[in-house]
Amino acid sequence: MALLEVKDLKMYYRTARGHVRAVDSVSFEIEQGKALGIAGESGCGKTSMASALLRLLPSNGSYHGGSVVMDGKELLTMSEEQFRKDIRWKRISMIFQGAMNALNPVHKVGEQIVEAILHHEDVSREQAVKRTHDLFGLVGINPKRFNEYPHEFSGGMKQRAVIAMALACHPDLIIADEPTTALDVMVQAQILKSIAELRQRLNLSMMLITHDLSVIAQTCDSVVIMYAGKVAEYGDVVDVYTRPAHPYAMGLVNSFPNIQAARTEVRSLPGFPPNLLAPPSGCRFHPRCPLADEECKQVEPAVREVGGNKHMVACHKAEIVQQGGDIWSR
Amino acid sequence: MGFRSYLLKRLFYAVVVLFVILTFNYVLFRIMPGDPEKMILDPNFTPEAKMELRRQYGLDDPPLTQYLNYMKSLLTFDLGMSFSTRRLVWSELRERLPNTIVLFMVTFVGTAALGISLGVSSAANRGKFSEQLVMGAGLFAHAVPSFFIQLLLLLLFGYYWPILPIHGTISAPPPDGAWAQFLDRAWHLILPAGSNIVIGFGSWALYTRNTMLEALGQDYIVTARAKGLPRREILYHHSLRSVLPPIVTLIFMSLPGAVSGAVITESIFSWHGVGRYLLDATLQMDYPAAQGAFYLIALAVIISNLLADIAYGLVDPRIRVGAGAKR
Amino acid sequence: MTQNQRTAEKAQVAKAAAAAAPRRLTFWEQYRRKPQGVAGLLIVALYIAVAVFAPVVSKYDPMEDMYLADNIAVPIWLTKVNPRYRELPPTMQFNLGFDSWEVTAADGVEVTGWEFEDAEGISIDLPATEAPEPVEGEDGADTPPDSEDSGELFSIVSNVQWDPFGLVTSGQGTSRDEADEAVSLDFSFDYDYKKPQTFSASMGYHIDAPSDASTFIELDLVTPSGKAFDLWDTTAYGSVSNGSFIVDARDFDLKMRLGISFFDEPADVVFSERGTYTVRVKARSDSVSGPVNVRIEPVSFGVLGLAHGLLGTDHMGSDLWAQLVYGTRIALAIGLSAAFIAVFIGTSVGLIAGYLGGIVDEVLMGVVDVLLSIPTMPVLIVLGALFGKSVMNVVILLALFSWMGIARIVRSQTLSLKERTFVEAAKAAGGSSNYIMVSHILPNTMPLIFANLVLRIPSAILTEASLSFLGLGDPRVPTWGRMLQNARQFGAFTKMAWWWMLPPGIALTGLAVAFVFIGNSVNEILNPRYRERS
Repeated sequence: MALLEVKDLKMYYRTARGHVRAVDSVSFEIEQGKALGIAGESGCGKTSMASALLRLLPSNGSYHGGSVVMDGKELLTMSEEQFRKDIRWKRISMIFQGAMNALNPVHKVGEQIVEAILHHEDVSREQAVKRTHDLFGLVGINPKRFNEYPHEFSGGMKQRAVIAMALACHPDLIIADEPTTALDVMVQAQILKSIAELRQRLNLSMMLITHDLSVIAQTCDSVVIMYAGKVAEYGDVVDVYTRPAHPYAMGLVNSFPNIQAARTEVRSLPGFPPNLLAPPSGCRFHPRCPLADEECKQVEPAVREVGGNKHMVACHKAEIVQQGGDIWSR
Repeated sequence: MGFRSYLLKRLFYAVVVLFVILTFNYVLFRIMPGDPEKMILDPNFTPEAKMELRRQYGLDDPPLTQYLNYMKSLLTFDLGMSFSTRRLVWSELRERLPNTIVLFMVTFVGTAALGISLGVSSAANRGKFSEQLVMGAGLFAHAVPSFFIQLLLLLLFGYYWPILPIHGTISAPPPDGAWAQFLDRAWHLILPAGSNIVIGFGSWALYTRNTMLEALGQDYIVTARAKGLPRREILYHHSLRSVLPPIVTLIFMSLPGAVSGAVITESIFSWHGVGRYLLDATLQMDYPAAQGAFYLIALAVIISNLLADIAYGLVDPRIRVGAGAKR
Repeated sequence: MTQNQRTAEKAQVAKAAAAAAPRRLTFWEQYRRKPQGVAGLLIVALYIAVAVFAPVVSKYDPMEDMYLADNIAVPIWLTKVNPRYRELPPTMQFNLGFDSWEVTAADGVEVTGWEFEDAEGISIDLPATEAPEPVEGEDGADTPPDSEDSGELFSIVSNVQWDPFGLVTSGQGTSRDEADEAVSLDFSFDYDYKKPQTFSASMGYHIDAPSDASTFIELDLVTPSGKAFDLWDTTAYGSVSNGSFIVDARDFDLKMRLGISFFDEPADVVFSERGTYTVRVKARSDSVSGPVNVRIEPVSFGVLGLAHGLLGTDHMGSDLWAQLVYGTRIALAIGLSAAFIAVFIGTSVGLIAGYLGGIVDEVLMGVVDVLLSIPTMPVLIVLGALFGKSVMNVVILLALFSWMGIARIVRSQTLSLKERTFVEAAKAAGGSSNYIMVSHILPNTMPLIFANLVLRIPSAILTEASLSFLGLGDPRVPTWGRMLQNARQFGAFTKMAWWWMLPPGIALTGLAVAFVFIGNSVNEILNPRYRERS
């Protein structure tokens, strides 16, 4: 059984002009010890999904169906208090986008980790401090810096501290939301490397959210490619990267020649990202799709399996895409 | 830059401000309209008496000497003699200073306490009544002239519904006994301090609410939520604690305004204080008195600013510990 | 829904929908959607209209027209609403020309109109009498004319002049003398109010007569019950050119001549009844040697009202509505000009400090810090007294002590703009500092400057009002602050004249609120990240 099973999850933002369908019928699962990458243009609902999983919705966000099951327990209907105590940080922790601001500037870094431990586990303060020192060592920070404030840390060290914090309560799943965006290239590489090592050492599952496909290629086992709040393609990294079945995924993947080669960001494809207040009819990608026909405009494609191995895609023209040939150069 | 050098810098700055204000004060009152001699010299005096008086007030010395004497005397609180009452300005001020301090402190503490607590609660309870109240009060504080509200209160409680004293600091004659006198003073304090609090708490509340909301929207608050901390913990330990520095900044910013308000309040409620003394002295062109009162007010503001500086340093670890002190 | 929720939502939409909006809305399109902003704009437009059309909106000019009614008169409408003020008299001012009078003339007496300035006076031609009759007062001792007077404890019997026709003629007794009267002019008006505090009458007259003729003129006020009060009379010998008189009920003379007790007021005694009062002018002559011509200029008779206009009057009898309306001009002028000057200084200092940096920045920001920590009001009080109380000085002082905040904001904006590529490019292309500041940095700080300008206006208006209120405003100019000061100083409290205090305060508040609304809306649109700190 998968560690985490997300099914048909819908999370919308309520605004003065209607609902923004930030996460719309998204399904995927994460196996114990595996890593899932989530990729897509900014604003496609990646970060919203992360906060949806931890039930950290902003005041105007709400669930509109679907389920999130962890170890057979439904998370969305659990009481807030129970969720806070038993799930947050204990089972699922998170490495936040932009570690610069993820630490409270007026509290000592070490204390912020100790605080998380003390709230979830029945341990003495000394033990918590001890564990924090160990965590510091684990992520490569000198434990002597326990009593320093965030502003005394460099960017890379802050990110490491945030990772240490995420590991504090031995979670099963870590959600990493753009963990390296704000860092320079050298540090990025180091951080990614240490995340990968820690994951193997601690047998952690991870959900990595990024717009950097090469990062996913390096660190993840499977990948979800999102477009406009929906899953466009989902499958094993090798399957998706070598035989993409969605024109959008193909556009992304083809924008770098070799998976092992240079890092490549999601290339901006022609056209605009859709307005989620009033998404296009039929397939949401049709206004930008070179293969779009009348069916694409009218009928929303169901998510279906192509070529086995749970390689899922939501496209009427998946077969044509998979035949190869650069559809984007037409 | 360590905390000590931060403090030294603020102290140096305070001294500079004091110096600037003193010089400004000196120049200002030298070029005031109306010859001060005419105020003190009776035309019927004999030339000898006039000379004597001029000497007594130091009007014959060269300007630089006058300036140095002035500096020296201000620093020793030798503020000269009032033209109109012929009493020592310092003794007149000393008599009024406690009244002003009491009014000011009660007002300031009341305003800050009410404003900050309402601001926090409205940030915590979005869309509830307290939020409407805070938004309204903030606008109110910003747009309603304070003296107008005070006049209305005066009209209401002094004439339509005369239950509160509208005048002075203590009943005349004062009641017997220390406790009774204390109560009587507190009773007289209700309208002046109360009106100031009613007018002023809105801007504090709005400011606190805005900085709190800003803080609550910060990534580290999302982190705290994700860590599974309870709500109260997030609200007080993480948000409120992290907005303390900007709130202390607000103290800086509102001090001069609070002093201005105090002058008007004292004038409206005939409060026997320094602000009203300044206004009366200025209108009567009683230079030594006005100068002395102005000096005292400026000194008070500078000292409070310095205290706020220290408080700021204490609540912001970026200043208390290590690099990059910048306000 | 509050602004902040909306801002938060906007941020969410931006995050969620990722700038999916097809087209950026223009400033005005966004502004129109803000109810607060629109309301603010409408209110300001209303104030501006009132300021521009002040002479239309208000009948009176606050500086010119004094004594329009008694001091601290209540608003007219209040007499209809509040029983306490019911039936207070409004101001009645009659300017009585030829057409106003009802003329009763003896045979041979001719009464015609007479052009006098823009109104029509009365010309009376009295024929010469056949037999001379002494009119002087030698034999006056035998006629104690007024029984009314003798009853008064403190009366001073008016033996100033003997009057053969009776000072006060009782209702039935009038017939006795009527025959002797050459001419009598009557003007009647209804008086159905409580007693006024004062009334007044004035008149100019000219007499052309032979030198041996004596001419007698008298002004009476006849009560509804027929009691006649001789307000004034004169016996003139020969010709008189440009004679005139003024009677005021507050004059002690009148008390004496009406024989009223020391403690009574003429107005109380005279207007103790209700009904039709008559102003009567009588003239008579004993000329034997030739005809006499008496010309009377239009007579003015007035009761100073205890109720007046929309908002009553102040302690000088000046119209409060007029002060309120004209105060709009001053408030707007002061607010706008002080804000403009402050923003100009602040922008210049901020630009220069931010762009040049280094020692210039240190010094300028040092000045800003020092000024920011000086309590403004005491300084303004002292400086206001020093430089004299004129509107211009107040504006300059307000501006000089309120530019610091803007300087700080513009400076920090400049600091960040300075690092941007387009500025670097302009520098690389050899642009001078002045050119870069004015052409590249300034335009990009404009939204911030504009929002600050709007928010500066209400604080300038309120500060000026405080200064005026403390007695440091321009005494020649009607401002709302001064109205409030007058109200406090001249008895609005003891008379509970809330109508004197509420309107200027509300006007101030309304204008300030409107500008704050506009400023906040502009800020939300132009500077979504900038949150205004009270």
